[in-house]
Amino acid sequence: MEKIIETQVLVIGGGVTGTGIARDLCLRGFDVVLIEKKDLNAGASGGNHGLLHSGARYIASDPEAAVECNSEIRILKKMAGHCIQRTGGLFVAVRGDDENYIADFPGLCDRAGIPFEAVSVRDAIKLEPVLSANLIAAYQVNDASINPFKISIENMNDAVSRGARYLSFCKLESFDMEKKKIVRANVRNQVNGKAFQIQAQTYINASGAWAGYIAQMADISIPMVFSKGTLLVTSRRLARHVINRLRKATDADILVPGGVVSILGTTSLRVDHPDNIHPTVDEVDYIIDQGAQMIPMLATCRYVRAYSGVRPLVSAGGDDDRNVSRGYTLMDHERDGVDNFITITGGKLTTFRLMAEKTCDRVCEKLGVDAACQTEVIPLPATRSGEWSEPGIPHGGFKEFKASGDAILCECEMVPASAIDSIINSICKDKGTPDLSSIAVRSRVGKGPCQGAFCSVRILSHMYQTGQMSDTSGIQELKKFLNERWKGEHALLWDQAIVQSSIKEMIHCGVFGLELEK
Amino acid sequence: MNLKNNATISCDLLVIGSGIAGMVAAARAASLGLDTVLTGSSSGFFLTSGLLDFLGVYPVESSQVLESPFNGLDQLRKQNPDHPYSKIDNKTILESLDFTARILSSGGLEYSSAKNTNVNILTSAGTFKPSFLVPQTMIKGSSIGSGKKKILLADFKGLKGYSAALIAQALKRRHMDVTTVTIQVPQLTGDFNVMRMAALFEDDAFLHRTAKQIESSVQDREILGLPAVCGIHNSQDSMKKLENLTGLDCFEIPGLPPSIPGLRLKNAFETHILKNKVRVFNNVKVAFTAFENEQILFTTDGEPFRTQIAAKGVILASGRFPGRGLAAHREVIRETVFDIPVYHPQQRSLWYQLDFFSPQGHPVNRAGILTDSDFRPVDKTCQPLCENVYAAGSILAHNDWTRLKSGAGVSCVSAFCAVNHFHARKKIK
Repeated sequence: MEKIIETQVLVIGGGVTGTGIARDLCLRGFDVVLIEKKDLNAGASGGNHGLLHSGARYIASDPEAAVECNSEIRILKKMAGHCIQRTGGLFVAVRGDDENYIADFPGLCDRAGIPFEAVSVRDAIKLEPVLSANLIAAYQVNDASINPFKISIENMNDAVSRGARYLSFCKLESFDMEKKKIVRANVRNQVNGKAFQIQAQTYINASGAWAGYIAQMADISIPMVFSKGTLLVTSRRLARHVINRLRKATDADILVPGGVVSILGTTSLRVDHPDNIHPTVDEVDYIIDQGAQMIPMLATCRYVRAYSGVRPLVSAGGDDDRNVSRGYTLMDHERDGVDNFITITGGKLTTFRLMAEKTCDRVCEKLGVDAACQTEVIPLPATRSGEWSEPGIPHGGFKEFKASGDAILCECEMVPASAIDSIINSICKDKGTPDLSSIAVRSRVGKGPCQGAFCSVRILSHMYQTGQMSDTSGIQELKKFLNERWKGEHALLWDQAIVQSSIKEMIHCGVFGLELEK
Repeated sequence: MNLKNNATISCDLLVIGSGIAGMVAAARAASLGLDTVLTGSSSGFFLTSGLLDFLGVYPVESSQVLESPFNGLDQLRKQNPDHPYSKIDNKTILESLDFTARILSSGGLEYSSAKNTNVNILTSAGTFKPSFLVPQTMIKGSSIGSGKKKILLADFKGLKGYSAALIAQALKRRHMDVTTVTIQVPQLTGDFNVMRMAALFEDDAFLHRTAKQIESSVQDREILGLPAVCGIHNSQDSMKKLENLTGLDCFEIPGLPPSIPGLRLKNAFETHILKNKVRVFNNVKVAFTAFENEQILFTTDGEPFRTQIAAKGVILASGRFPGRGLAAHREVIRETVFDIPVYHPQQRSLWYQLDFFSPQGHPVNRAGILTDSDFRPVDKTCQPLCENVYAAGSILAHNDWTRLKSGAGVSCVSAFCAVNHFHARKKIK
């Protein structure tokens, strides 16, 4: 007999929207289960700039989204300040950029109510010396950067502390349907292979780019379009502000500070399927060449890795995916003949809270519950387990750890053994299975210049030494983790990065011969 | 050796690069009576396992681990006529490996091989790696492969990146009889350093305390595996003492850098070549200036003092990317001393495979310098660039040593042969 879990609401998808919904629902008093086929932020939530838009980017293409961004960024700064860096933003144009767009910018901002300030070219370069000498216009706006992993971790932590259950590596396989309703979700644990069922009153599809596949299980068709975006991470932070290219939104025109690094992107490439995507050499070179027009140093600086995400877009026809609305899509599938099923997809990181609010409002309506949204007024608590996802933070605490006899397992990002232990504890508390990949999601491990060459073995050894791992899967675990890192490395190996990757190969293939292990 | 401003140093042979190839080249040159200068940095030794591989896997596509390197060598030569081993006969290969073992012995470090066969060495990842010349402190570990030994694995509390439990699990997967013990090291607290750990093994009191801690775990065990940190300057003695104290055969297990066996290897090479009057300029980079009057001229680079070096011949053993012999740019790979053309897959999109652990290896790992049969770098028309410039070691093209397990072997053999060729040519003159 398969195990059955009962709950009021089942949320499918552990990205920033799903975790945001879980927390919102808990604050309104619902009983919630969230299932995720991989781990937190495995999709677009983990594959983006970490940028909170002031809205200025969308003033021309999508004024409605611009207004939403402007209002959400204010709320998030108040409610989740510990996940946000108030970097401010710049919009800059260089010689050759569309002068009409530049001229229209202030008026469009005014119309959307987006605060901005004109800055002289000289002052802009003073603010950000990395900017090109070919600058012709600059405006300051209220952009900010957010740590997308931290916000999801904290949302889920808060939801769990309020009674929600988070089931990672649990994949939805099918729905059991009866009379215009989903009666059960059939789920399989991807780690131990065991199947179980979840019975809920309402089912929420928050699976981002996979929303079409989930809806299909209830015989509902959603015309999804998959737009792959690739981003590059520099080895150190190049600028204090978010720097946007002042032109119609296109490729490789935003540089966002993310703690101690900067993130450059993105591209927009139509793909057939949201799985198994990775950055390519052509994308990397294109992004660098484009970005260097705005910030020349981008042509010569060192990059530590690249990554890709797939934007979940709901198609309205047409070819250019940048014209597909970046606004979100909330679908109550009552209209499709399934009464207790809601899909929320599309949208953007900046508006995740609003998307969650609107989704939960609909849940309340459907279940006849009178409970107002609280995420606008109750701040998101900061927990210890979210802390290690923050770049740069551990550096300040290094002395303290050294003194307490705590070995640094990841030397690039200064993550000590005690941090690994606390992350493992929190994964176990969520009934997850700690492994290198799940630790990496919750910390900076493997994200520094060595890209896991040393820390992978150190952490694995530590887990065996402390009994947190005790089976024969160690070698496979190591290979899996390093190959995942490799996806983000292989396209940008030259200069110093190829030295580092050669050393990684010397160790793991030359010495350990891991390529010979089946 | 000190460098003086504006001085000119003349020599028969300048060896550029202080890795295994550079060291063997310098030793060989000295043994032939050549006046030799060695430059470069030997810090790369910290990244080596201390094992000297010859040819461990062939064909790589089928992950065929070779019982003897000679089982794969003929096929390799047939399929890959540009591989460095294709330029040398078996007798000379064995001669050069034997030469390497002898100079290391003269430097105080014993290496042995198992009658022309590979030896499978347990690593700290729990894998077995085929190698050829093996340090005395590791050789006994080759006996556990049979699966009949009762093994005890020890680790040290606080020594990062090494876990006896991890290795034990991998051995259990191979149905081996293995138990573990963790040794406390009160001297070392917090985030401690591998060098300090290794230095402790040179202290008898530490060895006694260690043996004492192992005592209760010995029981029916026959052989003891330890991380490869058992002493820096007299590891062989330390191991013997530990064997006497525990009553067990002992062997070291190589693992994550910084590598102590690599440091010992460097020390042994340096001891030998300094004894044999090679002039060693540590951490000195040279910049090529000109070919002049049958001499090749260099200046030292990045030093407060500039010294000119005038050499009759050069062995370019500057390594690949980590050694800075090759430099990769977004579009092209360049050789850093002479700007010799580098063979490599043209577009960067062809350099790497999507699977890091792809058995056939990444195409860029076959990049490097093409040479004639005497190991002289050639230009696009396959003519030697200069009569007396030779290349040796990992900078040579068509040798993906991480997959073939051929790193040290190609270094020793190509260095040995390149120097022989230079010497022969010089004699004729």
